[in-house]
Amino acid sequence: MSFDTVVEIIVDTVHCQPEHVKPEAELSALGIGSLEAITVIFELEEAFDIEIPNEVIPSILTVNDIMVRLEEARQ
Amino acid sequence: MSRSVVITGLGAISAAGLNVADFWNSLKAGRSAIKPLSPAVENVKIRFAAQLSDYNPEKHFSAEELTLLDRYAQMAVIAAREAASDAGLEIKDNPLESAAVIVGSGCCAKHTDEDTCVQLYEKHRKRVHPLTIPKGMPSAAASMVSFHLGIKGPSFVLSSACSSGSHAIIQGMTMIQSGMVDMALVGASDAPFTFGLLKSWDALRVVSDDTCRPFCKDRSGLILGEGAGMLVIESREHAEKRGAKMYAELAGCGMTSDAGHITRPDIDGISGAMNQALKMAGIDVSELAYINAHGTGTELNDLTETRAIHQVFAGHAKNIAISSTKAIHGHALGASSALELVATTMAMANDIIPPTVNYTTPDEQCDLDYVPNTARQQRIDTALSNSFAFGGLNAVIALKKLTQ
Repeated sequence: MSFDTVVEIIVDTVHCQPEHVKPEAELSALGIGSLEAITVIFELEEAFDIEIPNEVIPSILTVNDIMVRLEEARQ
Repeated sequence: MSRSVVITGLGAISAAGLNVADFWNSLKAGRSAIKPLSPAVENVKIRFAAQLSDYNPEKHFSAEELTLLDRYAQMAVIAAREAASDAGLEIKDNPLESAAVIVGSGCCAKHTDEDTCVQLYEKHRKRVHPLTIPKGMPSAAASMVSFHLGIKGPSFVLSSACSSGSHAIIQGMTMIQSGMVDMALVGASDAPFTFGLLKSWDALRVVSDDTCRPFCKDRSGLILGEGAGMLVIESREHAEKRGAKMYAELAGCGMTSDAGHITRPDIDGISGAMNQALKMAGIDVSELAYINAHGTGTELNDLTETRAIHQVFAGHAKNIAISSTKAIHGHALGASSALELVATTMAMANDIIPPTVNYTTPDEQCDLDYVPNTARQQRIDTALSNSFAFGGLNAVIALKKLTQ
């Protein structure tokens, strides 16, 4: 469920192919730079009504990192 | 050969001081004006800022005048008055009367805009103040400087985000060089501490959670500031004829656009602007003494600016004293570049390089001489002031010490 939403947000943000958005995929390989990353995080915060702090953003390098931070924020 | 342009008057109002003397004392002492955001704003993450302290608009303007003066226009007028007085000019008299006024601003009259939105959308008031348009128009600062100082030459506001001040100064400089005017009041003003702008900067996630540490390994982002810097510039011939004191020659300028990423600076764009400014000023890369860096304290800026300096100056890069004064006066957006040219001018006039404060840990990727934490007495014959804006708009100004 969460993963589907993350895929949807990434695809909407950078217009990549949904099948490329796998847990191990690196964000840079999907065309996600710093500006796109904060846009994806903003969309996640809106979708799940959560807060992802600034200091964890540099450690978000893969789709799985997004999932981990998302789960942390939801707890 | 175009006309030589000189700086003859300085004005500044910022968190680091409400006039040039106090501003310069803060810079020399390396005294950062970054403090907790006051008052703290609910639902805003930004906790630190460089705000004017002990500023009382009523000390500068009547209640009637204030009905027309947005905060950004107030600061522009205050700095312009100081610059004109410093240049020995009489208000509402020649040669000031025929000068140009070019004011840069990244945010313009946002206080008025947002106050109006609160009245309409939050308080559901049926009407707004009748002077909302003249007070809130983006060009208000130029009108107000013209109005308060009796200047009747060409006047306008220009906007190029964080390069606004440098672009305004360059615009005035080229108008003097062309012979269109003999004198111009140039600079910039910005007052970004509104709820909407704080939330917007929050969202961009580039503001530090504690302080600004340019070129430092443990940098954590920029710190917003507010203020205005204004300068009187005129042709050297005109300044000599009226016996004005001259701080420095506005010797060159460079302007480029990245046409690339909206927020990521580009090495070639930055180095292109520096090269243009050096060429116009006739400064050989081996002789540049000082760079007042854009130095925001963000990783993207500091690394790119450092690499661009290496690209332009090659073997001489490590001999150049480089400082970012933003760790002292904050990043006052469009006004920063004008405040920084005031700082660079004072540095050259006094042969003192203001430091990059809050510098704790060297970064192997930022390997130049950033004059950490303590001012340095050093002769400065040549200097650059760098400004690079979101949207890829780069402006660099070159100063030269005047020879008699």
